[in-house]
Amino acid sequence: MIVAENLSVHFRRGLLGPPIKALDGLSLHVAEGDFFALVGQNGAGKSTAMYCFLGLLRPKAGRLRVMGKVPELGSKLYGSVAFLPEEPHYDLYLTVEEAVRYYAGLYGKSLPAKTIPDVLERLGLAEFKTLPLAKCSKGMKQKVGIAQCLIHPATLVFLDEPTRGLDPIIVRFFREVLREIHQRGATIVMNSHVLSEIEMLANRVAIIEKGRTIAHDTLENLMHLEQETYDVAFETNGDAPEWVSVQARQGCVVRGAIPAARLRDFMEFACQPGYRLLECSLKKATLEESFIKILREKAP
Amino acid sequence: MKELLKVNLRAHFIYFRRSRLLLAFALVFLLLTLLSALPIVFSPSRAAAFTGAKQIFSTLNMFLIAFSAGLGLFLISSHLRDRNLKMVFTKPCPPTLWLASTYVSAIGVSLLLNVTILACALVMSLLGHTKVQAGLAFVSFDTFAASVGMIAYLMFLAMVMHPVIAVVFVLIFNPSTFYNLQLWVQAVQSAGRKSTILQVFERLFHYCYMVLPMVHPFSRQTQAIHDSLRVAPAEWPYALYSLGYALSLTALSYCLSLFFLQRKKLI
Repeated sequence: MIVAENLSVHFRRGLLGPPIKALDGLSLHVAEGDFFALVGQNGAGKSTAMYCFLGLLRPKAGRLRVMGKVPELGSKLYGSVAFLPEEPHYDLYLTVEEAVRYYAGLYGKSLPAKTIPDVLERLGLAEFKTLPLAKCSKGMKQKVGIAQCLIHPATLVFLDEPTRGLDPIIVRFFREVLREIHQRGATIVMNSHVLSEIEMLANRVAIIEKGRTIAHDTLENLMHLEQETYDVAFETNGDAPEWVSVQARQGCVVRGAIPAARLRDFMEFACQPGYRLLECSLKKATLEESFIKILREKAP
Repeated sequence: MKELLKVNLRAHFIYFRRSRLLLAFALVFLLLTLLSALPIVFSPSRAAAFTGAKQIFSTLNMFLIAFSAGLGLFLISSHLRDRNLKMVFTKPCPPTLWLASTYVSAIGVSLLLNVTILACALVMSLLGHTKVQAGLAFVSFDTFAASVGMIAYLMFLAMVMHPVIAVVFVLIFNPSTFYNLQLWVQAVQSAGRKSTILQVFERLFHYCYMVLPMVHPFSRQTQAIHDSLRVAPAEWPYALYSLGYALSLTALSYCLSLFFLQRKKLI
């Protein structure tokens, strides 16, 4: 769906300022049907990469194909693309309904009369349809963005920080909508800082740092990079073995963690007389831990 | 294509309708015109009424050209400032079409205002029991041509620079400035001071005068019509020449604006 090889984008601050490398040889591959997440620190180049995929920025070097074509502004390629920007840069002089109608109309296809009212109703925008966008809150503008994404059944959806500024109810609703779009067969490319959200939705993740891809794998593989551990708690009057990393000790109760490989040793140890096992549970690795670990190890 | 153009035009017309800046601009113009029209109400003679009505017509036409330039300037600059074009060009709507729709919408509004002003002038003539002059139609057409040219020129400037700088640029770097500078250099040369620098400046000012867009390119030939509102059959082609000049300027501005729009960072 998207093939990016060695993309480079440089910005210049002022006419004579030194060039800033926004993308520095970024490569990644998004397959059809992926729910692909771009993860990285602020200024890592996630949004720049997305703008390149959308044709809003031309890479200085590298090869980029979106659905087999070079993305050109306003080309027919966008007939099957939907985009939700990070900042609500919409036509603020339009009302909620006019904006959704305008963006829907830009696809050049006629819609059934009920489509737009239905989408507005679904997103809770129906009662605000005559409100100018300039007077809408950020969350409402974001809902307008979501509405214009939902109007046409897109096969490729770009989401730049989609849940920023939304209330928890609409975030949850939005997640369901995204799952629905994905299940329908659409490929989704999402930028987000909310790693827990990515864990819930994405199946492939690319970690970007200083304009380069430092990790690019399935979510499962990336999360298993963090070594599995068990959280343990036991009673003892003696010392804990050296492979137990003790986190707290209250009287004779010891709390800590052990590597998964030491589970059998720990069970034997805890079954000895004078010891009592209180807790032993698998500590699930999170994307956040893997992300931090990868950043520490692979950041250029 | 037709559907896309219609959708964009509708959005631009909504913009014009709701733009407070344009509204303020129009209100100031109207207020000034009304103030200048007050003496006509108390005019004792038919001749004075005709002169007054002609004055109002001329003022309104002058304002229309400035207002039309504002239409183009505000439309482009507000879209660039609000960075909302990324929502348009990430849909199957090419920049060529969007830009064409901005030109068509601004020219459409200008034409509507032009027709309204002409209608007002006709009503004033009928109310004042003065003869309806054919010059009204000529001046109206000439003003429309000038408005089209100014819309196109200001749209191009708004595409490449900040709107305030664009206005300052138009006010300072216009053909009459360079014409006067050229005359000044020629006067200095004919007074006896001849130097290569003066010759270079004389040529430079001449080329600037030739290159910069003019509001009324045939003003020398049509000034009498604007003054008397009388037009001879042989003078009508000048209206078409003015339109031809405006359309050529529009075509050039469109191509240049498109070139810069496609290279702009719209993020």
